[in-house]
Amino acid sequence: MARLDIANVSKLFGSTKAVDDFSITVEDGELVCLLGPSGSGKSTLLRMIGGFEKPTYGSMTIDGEEVIHLPPEKRPTGMVFQSHALWSHMNVFKNIAFGLKLRRLPKAEIERRVEAVLELVGLSGYGQRLTHQLSGGQQQRVALARSLVLEPKILLLDEPFASLDQHLRERLREEVRDIQQRLKITTLFVTHAQDEALSVADRIVVLRDGRTEQIARPAEVYREPATPFVAGFIGQMNLVSGVVADGRFGHSAFNVPAAVADGPATLAVRPEALAIAPASGAGMAHVHRVTDYGTHAMIDVELPDGERLKSMMPTADQWTPMQKVDLVPGAFALYRDNGVIYRADAALALAKPARKTRSTVHA
Amino acid sequence: MTAVSQASARPLDQGENRRRPYGLLLVAAPVLLVAWLVIWPIVSAVGRTLFQRSDEGAIEFTLDTYLFFFSDRYSLDNLTVTLWTTGMCALLLFVICLPIALYLRFSAGRLPAYVQSLAIFPMFVPSIILSYAFIRVLGPNGMVDILLNAVGLPKIRTPYLTPWGPVIGLVWDNIPLTVLILLSGLGNVSNQAIEAARDVGARWGQVLWHIILPRIGNSILVALSFSVLGIFSSFTLPYVLGPAAPEMMGPFMQRTFRDVNDPQMAITQAVITFGFCIVFGLFYVRSVARNQGK
Amino acid sequence: MAATLPAPRGRIDFVGIGFAIALSVAIIFPLIVVGTWAFTEVWRYPNIVPQQFGLRFWNQTLSRADVWSALTLSLQLSTVVTLLSAAICLPAAYAFARMTFPGRNVLFFSFLAGHAFPKFGLLVAIAAIFLQLNLIGTFWGVVLIQLVGTLLFMIWIPVAAFQSVDRRMEEAARDVGASPLRVFWSITLPQAGPTIAAAVLLSFVGTFYETEGAWLIGAPGIRTMPVLMITFINNQMVIQYGAVLSVLLWVPSFIALMFARRVIGGGAFARGFGG
Repeated sequence: MARLDIANVSKLFGSTKAVDDFSITVEDGELVCLLGPSGSGKSTLLRMIGGFEKPTYGSMTIDGEEVIHLPPEKRPTGMVFQSHALWSHMNVFKNIAFGLKLRRLPKAEIERRVEAVLELVGLSGYGQRLTHQLSGGQQQRVALARSLVLEPKILLLDEPFASLDQHLRERLREEVRDIQQRLKITTLFVTHAQDEALSVADRIVVLRDGRTEQIARPAEVYREPATPFVAGFIGQMNLVSGVVADGRFGHSAFNVPAAVADGPATLAVRPEALAIAPASGAGMAHVHRVTDYGTHAMIDVELPDGERLKSMMPTADQWTPMQKVDLVPGAFALYRDNGVIYRADAALALAKPARKTRSTVHA
Repeated sequence: MTAVSQASARPLDQGENRRRPYGLLLVAAPVLLVAWLVIWPIVSAVGRTLFQRSDEGAIEFTLDTYLFFFSDRYSLDNLTVTLWTTGMCALLLFVICLPIALYLRFSAGRLPAYVQSLAIFPMFVPSIILSYAFIRVLGPNGMVDILLNAVGLPKIRTPYLTPWGPVIGLVWDNIPLTVLILLSGLGNVSNQAIEAARDVGARWGQVLWHIILPRIGNSILVALSFSVLGIFSSFTLPYVLGPAAPEMMGPFMQRTFRDVNDPQMAITQAVITFGFCIVFGLFYVRSVARNQGK
Repeated sequence: MAATLPAPRGRIDFVGIGFAIALSVAIIFPLIVVGTWAFTEVWRYPNIVPQQFGLRFWNQTLSRADVWSALTLSLQLSTVVTLLSAAICLPAAYAFARMTFPGRNVLFFSFLAGHAFPKFGLLVAIAAIFLQLNLIGTFWGVVLIQLVGTLLFMIWIPVAAFQSVDRRMEEAARDVGASPLRVFWSITLPQAGPTIAAAVLLSFVGTFYETEGAWLIGAPGIRTMPVLMITFINNQMVIQYGAVLSVLLWVPSFIALMFARRVIGGGAFARGFGG
């Protein structure tokens, strides 16, 4: 249980900035997800907190104590690796007990604590197994137990479930969240999967190219993405480039009121906030494809310039390819210079008509 | 989000940038050993044979010992028999090992496993034991003679103490590595490549010639380099199994060095063997380095 | 190794049977003959089987002083060379595997130099140097020459072993509080252990059987087992002496065979030779 302060941390590999001026305060018992595509610096950041990389600039304190010059073995952090990194020449018990032995605890105490932590991760009685006799999920639980048994102030999880299948991943992340809540342990969780971040995090840090794009609660990251990148990275989003003139954002297919200064801007609108209607006049856009998901339908709409947008509608019934339609954006946001300049009807969702379609789930 | 500038920042990890070469310290001992007992002897051997002290005590460039070697009938005979033995061994190894490697690559089961362990087995028979076994089997009144006699056939002309003696022994000794290297090369020939060729109507001979051999060319050359380097200056087998004259370079050098007590001439002979093998040595280093780079 | 395209079921693998028979005759048969001689007391030409079996020549061979001194010497030599080699090569291997320093690659490949030249020529060149240093015919001269022979194996195989240890495992150990030295001792070494043990064994056995360096540098003062064996063969002594020695000598080799299977089986071995 602890508070982690990271201030202005940068990491240079040669002349490449892997992490660029990163700052955050993680409160006691909070679970923060570091989310970003590969190469965004999220793992480097985590490894710096664990002490495996040394920041080029900045400071890091745990409960007010500077840790930046401490090697990993002296830091009150516990790390769970993606590859689980269990020591294959030791059995489960020895894996977990190794750290306790280094602390010269009495034998009985070690046994008691290992048993307790095995029970916590649901592996009671597995102590004498060899690591290769365990399934992937069990191995990852042992790795978690190995860190937890030392009662670290900060728990670090480096894409711990990336090598597991979808089902197991969902189950384990709920278990981890439960354990984290029960122990009230301050946790940093690195992932590239937005669903993982959205489902477990108290707060999400979205990273790109070593820079922070947004730090916010999951709902806010989804509803009010701070930058076009976040808008496109989390969930599905239509992004359209256009120009604001005389208080209106204009594009070939539609224009909407927006009380901002003139100039270029990017409009972002989620499929669920972009409605379509049968063309009242000539109709600038037409239906390209209709996909019926049962619960809803996704309509791909093609604009005169060839851009395609996604619109989510309750049913597929009334739409057919080549049909002329009008676009009716609900909630939307306008971005300029990598920041939000205007939000409309934020209650509904996010955006307004747009041009570029991005599907999510980055690898 | 974090726009605080870092004007006064100073890097925290200067220590790492300084790169203390502890590594050099750890590798120093074996590296120095190689420098002292491999690099230096070679350099020194070339130097000592080319620059010799003349009668007046001055050091001058000379080719005397080399001229002697290449004008001496006996030395040239020894060189010839060495070249012949090396060539014959390389040829036999290729003819014997390629079929074995091909068979092992394209079959599975217990029998190929047995064949493979047999082919690798000689690696674990020291050449001195091999020499002894050779004499007991192929030597005069050896096991082969016994068996031939038992069925009423005449004795063989024993290869013991003829140039064929070392050839047979060296081939036997070099089968494992040759097979392993060829097999490793054949591992790079994918089944799909062969099936595709068969699919367009190639017969096995054509598949071998057009698909397999071009892909394992490098491995064949590596195997060749390896056996040439090993055979050219081999000592034990030619010493024990070969004729007294002409003898191969290995025993010849040994006799010049120890029995004739003429180190200068022995070094000259050594440098000449280096000269004959330099191409294979370089090729060997290049392929290993390339393989390691992968 | 990669073995696929199994022969269609029901067809007899004549090629395989051919190879199996030919190789058995060429490789196993001579060794059986040697083994038979070792337990033979009388075997006169042209009998197919010995007239009398027995252990008489084992007693005679093993009661010879020169056999015992050669055996002791060979064991001493192999032990000293292996220990020295491990002491200087294993730290070097770790450095090559895990550290960066100037000239790392060049130095790593410098160990190939000893194998890029015809071996006996190189030995003669070294012997010429030893001659000036009065190392010819001495124990330490032979130790040095054999030490050089083990370097490539004792560095390259452990380097591969260290490199294959998952760095995350070591980091995980640091994470739970182990010092770098402790990590090496408790994690890296046990993980790389089996392969390193194989390399150490190879160097022991290789030194034990090394004939050429021992003969050129060691003679006449230093007589190892293989050197003694050459003498026995050359002097045409009682046939059985050689046979008994062969069987004795082959025991360490057999142990090496058992251990080295894992190293050689992987094909990594052949690749190490540039295959």
